[in-house]
Amino acid sequence: MPEMTLDMRVNGRKVTRRADPGQRLLDFLRDELNLTGTKEGCGAGECGTCSVFVDGKLVKSCLMPVAKAQGADIQTVEGLARPGELEAIQKAFHKTGASQCGYCIPGMVMAATSVLREAPEASLDEIKERMGGNICRCTGYSKIIEAVALARDVVTGRASPAVLEPEGVGDSYIGHNVRRLDAPSKVTGRLKYAGDMVMPGMLHMAVLRSPHPHAEIVSIDTSGAEAMEGVACVITADDVPGKDGFGVFVHDQPVMARGKVRHVGEAVAAIAAEDAATARRALAKIRVEYRELPGLFDPEDALKPGAPVIHDYAPDNVVKHIPIRKGDVDKGFAEADLILEDEFSTQQVEHAYLEPEAGLAYVDADDVVTVISPSQNITHHRHMLSEIIAKPINKVRFIMSPVGGGFGGKEDMIYQGMLALAAMKTDRPVRLVFTREESIIASAKRHPSRVKYRMGLKNDGRITAIRFEMLSDGGAYGMSSEGVMRKAAILSCGPYEVENLQVDTTAVYTNNTPSGAFRTFGGMQAQFATESMMDIAAERLGLDPFEIRRRNMMRAGSLTHTQQRLTSASIDRVLEAAEQASRWEPGPVGMRGPTRGDLGGPGTRAPCTLGARFETPKDSKERVA
Amino acid sequence: MLTFERYEMPATLPEALALWAEAPAGARLVAGATDILPWAREGRAGDVDLPLGIDLSRVAELRGYERHGARVRLGANTVWQDFLDDPRLARWLPVMPYCSVWFADDQIRQQATLAGNLVNASPAADGTPPVLALNGELELRRWAGDHIMCRTMRVEDFVTGPGATRLAPGEIVNSVTLDCTEGYGASFQKVGLRRSLVISVACVAALVKLDETGTRFEDVRLAMGGVGPVPERLRDIEDRLKGAALDARLIAEVAEAAAARVASRSRVEYRRRVVPGFVRAALEEAAERARTAPQAAGLKEALNA
Ligand SMILES: Cc1cc2nc3c(=O)[nH]c(=O)nc-3n(C[C@H](O)[C@H](O)[C@H](O)COP(=O)(O)OP(=O)(O)OC[C@H]3O[C@@H](n4cnc5c(N)ncnc54)[C@H](O)[C@@H]3O)c2cc1C
Ligand code: FES
Ligand code: FES
Repeated sequence: MPEMTLDMRVNGRKVTRRADPGQRLLDFLRDELNLTGTKEGCGAGECGTCSVFVDGKLVKSCLMPVAKAQGADIQTVEGLARPGELEAIQKAFHKTGASQCGYCIPGMVMAATSVLREAPEASLDEIKERMGGNICRCTGYSKIIEAVALARDVVTGRASPAVLEPEGVGDSYIGHNVRRLDAPSKVTGRLKYAGDMVMPGMLHMAVLRSPHPHAEIVSIDTSGAEAMEGVACVITADDVPGKDGFGVFVHDQPVMARGKVRHVGEAVAAIAAEDAATARRALAKIRVEYRELPGLFDPEDALKPGAPVIHDYAPDNVVKHIPIRKGDVDKGFAEADLILEDEFSTQQVEHAYLEPEAGLAYVDADDVVTVISPSQNITHHRHMLSEIIAKPINKVRFIMSPVGGGFGGKEDMIYQGMLALAAMKTDRPVRLVFTREESIIASAKRHPSRVKYRMGLKNDGRITAIRFEMLSDGGAYGMSSEGVMRKAAILSCGPYEVENLQVDTTAVYTNNTPSGAFRTFGGMQAQFATESMMDIAAERLGLDPFEIRRRNMMRAGSLTHTQQRLTSASIDRVLEAAEQASRWEPGPVGMRGPTRGDLGGPGTRAPCTLGARFETPKDSKERVA
Repeated sequence: MLTFERYEMPATLPEALALWAEAPAGARLVAGATDILPWAREGRAGDVDLPLGIDLSRVAELRGYERHGARVRLGANTVWQDFLDDPRLARWLPVMPYCSVWFADDQIRQQATLAGNLVNASPAADGTPPVLALNGELELRRWAGDHIMCRTMRVEDFVTGPGATRLAPGEIVNSVTLDCTEGYGASFQKVGLRRSLVISVACVAALVKLDETGTRFEDVRLAMGGVGPVPERLRDIEDRLKGAALDARLIAEVAEAAAARVASRSRVEYRRRVVPGFVRAALEEAAERARTAPQAAGLKEALNA
C-alpha cells in the first residue's frame, strides 16, 4: 500500500495520518478515525448513507479517494452538534419520527443540513429534489421531508423553536405524538450497527461464493490462501464440528456449501485475515474444482418427472405443499352464473435494506461463542448454531445489534455460522460486512409466484367457489418457504367469505437464489391475484368495485377459509375509508363516461419533473401543511 | 474495490502529462472518480488493483472557465454543479442547467466532471447530447518529451462507440469548448427508472433561437442520447425547422421522424415511443423559453442567485 501524509480538519479538529491516499474518504473516516456515523449502504454512489461535507460541499464519501480531501475541512454527522446536544434539523427528525431503522438517517440529516445551508427558503418540491441522492427504505420520505420543512421554518425564523420540543402526552400516550426513544442515537450517528463495531485484534472476513447455480464440488484447495501473509484462517464445510444445517423450518442449508452448490452466490469458503483487502485478495488463491450439474430455473420444471433433484431428502423437489379445503367446490361452480379463470405471476423482489448484512463473532473467556448481528431471529439462530458447532446452548450466545432494515430478509442465518467457526478456529474476534452486491446475491428474496385462479360468481357478485393454485419458486433452500406458503394459503382468497374453496400453495426447490421471508409473507402474491380477480369480476358483472367487495366481505360471525369463526371484522371500515380517501365516484368501472373526477387531485402524485430550484421565488412563504 | 499501487496528485499540467506519458500499462486518470470507483465493483470489473492513479483534481490549468467571443471554454475540471451554481454559465450555456439538474444528484455533481462524462463515453451519458448540440470540441494535450503537443477534436468525432473514444495514449483532455448560446431557449428531457441517480433510457437536448418577431425558428440545435451506440445530433430535423414558422403541427411531424433514429439493442419499442414525445416536448419547451429568454424563463432564479 502506498502511504501519504494526510492533513485535514475533521469536525473542527486537526487530523494528521499516514494513510493510503487512494482509499476512499469513507474508509478513512470509518477505519482510521472511527467516525462510524458515516455509513456504507452501497459503495457506489447510489444511497447517500455516506454523505459528508468537504469544504462545505456535501459529497458522497464512497466516491472520493481520500487524497482529494488533503487539506480540506471535513464535517461528518458527529460534527453537527456538540455531544449531548442536537441541531435544529436533528431535533426536527426526532420530532416528526423520521427515524426507523436509522441506517439512512445520518446521511439524511447531512443532506437536510445541506439543503438548509444552500437553499434555506427551499419549497417542498425543492427539498425533495435536493435530497434526491439519499435513499430510505423504511421511514419513507414523508416524515423526513416534513422534518426538513419544520427545521427550515425554525431556521428561517418563520416558526418558533418551540415547535421542535416534545408535545405533552397528558394522561395517555394514545392519540399523542410520542417521540421515539432511540431517535437521538440515530440522528447523531452514535448508534453502532454490527458493521460499525470493532474489537481489539479483530480479523476481517471475506467469502468465496459459487459462480455456478448447480455443481458438485470435486475439490477445494485452500493451501494457497492459507499460506498468504495476513491470512489467519480459511474455513469450509469441513470445519463444521456438529450437525450442519440451518433453516427456519427445515434445516436443509449448510453453513457453507457441502458437496455441492445449489445457487449462484452460495458461500463455498471463507477467509479471516488481518484486513478486509487481504481477505478479499486471498479469495483468488482458493482453488475450487466444480463439476456442473443440470440446473432447475423454473418452478414448473421442478415438478416434471425426471427433473434434476436439488436436495436428496426431497426427490420431488417440493419444499412444502399446503392444501385448504372448505365446502364443495364442484357444487359451488355448478351454482355460478359466471366462471372466471386467469393466471397471475409476481416476480422476485430484493429487500434492499440499507444496512448490508454484517456481524462480529468472538469466543469469550468462558468459551462462550458469541455472535453479534442484526439477526431477526436470534433465539432460533442460537439453537441452530449450538447444534452446528456441537456446543451446549449455554456456550452459545447471540446478541442482536440494531437492525438497519430487515423486512424479513435478516431471518436467515446465512453468515453467522461462518463467523462463529472462524472465531473458534482463530480464537480472535472476526467481523464480516457484506458488500451491497453480496447482500443482493446471497440473501433471500420474495417468492416469485404464479397463481392459477378459478372463481365462480352469481350475477349479484356473490362468490360461489374459488379454486386457487399457487406455485412458488422457493429457490435453492427452504428458508421460510413453508411459513410463506402457509400464510399465502390462509390469506389466499382475501377478506371475503367463500363457502366453497380449494386452495393449494406449493413451494419447490430450484437453483435460483433462495426465497424467504419478506413483508406480507406470501400475502402480497395471493392478494394481487385475488384483488385482480375481484376487479375483473366487477367489470364483467357491471358492478362497482367497492360494492362487489362489500357483497363478499367477511363480517362478525363469518367462517374464514380455514374455518375459524370470526368475532369481529373490520373490512367494512377499511373499504369506507379507502372509498372516501380516494374520492371514489361510485359506479361500475366501464360506465362512468369519458371524464372521471376521482383521478388526480389532492393526494395524487404528479408526474416526475425536476427544476423546482429554478422556480422557488426568494420570498417563498410555503409551509408544511 | 479499487486499490492503487501509487496515487499521484500533480499540481500542474506539465507534471500530470509527464506522469501520464510514463505511466505503466493499466494506469488511469482520475477526475471526479464517480465513474471509476463504481466500475471496480462486483458484477462489473470486480476488485481492481491499478498500478497508478493520476488525480487531475488539483491541476491548476484544468480549473475555471471563460468566454471567448462566440465560444465558452470550460477547463476539464468543471463539475456538473457549476452549471447550476454559476449564473454566468447558466447564461452562456442555457441548456446545461436543465441537463445538470437531471444529472445524478446534488452531491455527485460536486465531483463529477463534464470531461469525465465525455471520456467515459457511455451511450447513455447525459453530457454528450447537449455538448453535441453546442458544437463541442475538446482540447487534448500530450507530453512529447520536451514540449506539450496540443490538438483539438470535435466531440462528435471523439466518441466512437460505447466506452470508446479517440483519446490517444498520453493524452489528457484540457478543456471543452462550446458555442455560447446566450439568448437561446433550452430544454433537456430525460427518462429513466426514477428521478435522481438514474441512467437515461433516453434523453434529448434542445436549443432554440427565434427571429426578432418571435414567430420563426432562427436556429435549432437538437441531439439525443441513450438510444444508440453513440449520442446523435439530429441535423435533418434542425434543417427542416430553421427558418420555418413556429408551428405545433410541424414540430409534431418532425418529432415523429425521430423515432426512426432509435438504434438501441434493447427496449427498442419503448424508446421509439418515448423519443417523438421527447423531441416534441423539448422543442416546444425550448421555443417557449426562447420567447421569454433570458429573464422570465426558468433560469431567473439561477441568474439572480
Ligand atoms: C450514482 C451515480 C449516478 C450517476 N448519474 C449519472 C447521470 O445521471 N448521467 C450521466 O451521464 N452520468 C451519471 N453518472 C456517471 C458519472 O457520474 C459521470 O459520467 C461523470 O461525469 C464522470 O465524471 P468524473 O469526473 O467523475 O470521471 P472519472 O470517474 O474520474 O473518470 C471517468 C473516465 O474519464 C477519464 N478522464 C477523466 N478526466 C479526464 C481528462 N481530463 N482527460 C482524459 N481522461 C479523463 C478517466 O480516466 C475515466 O476513464 C452517475 C454515476 C453514479 C455513481
Ligand atoms: S452512496 Fe456512498 S455508500 Fe451509498
Ligand atoms: S430509516 Fe431510512 S433506511 Fe431505515
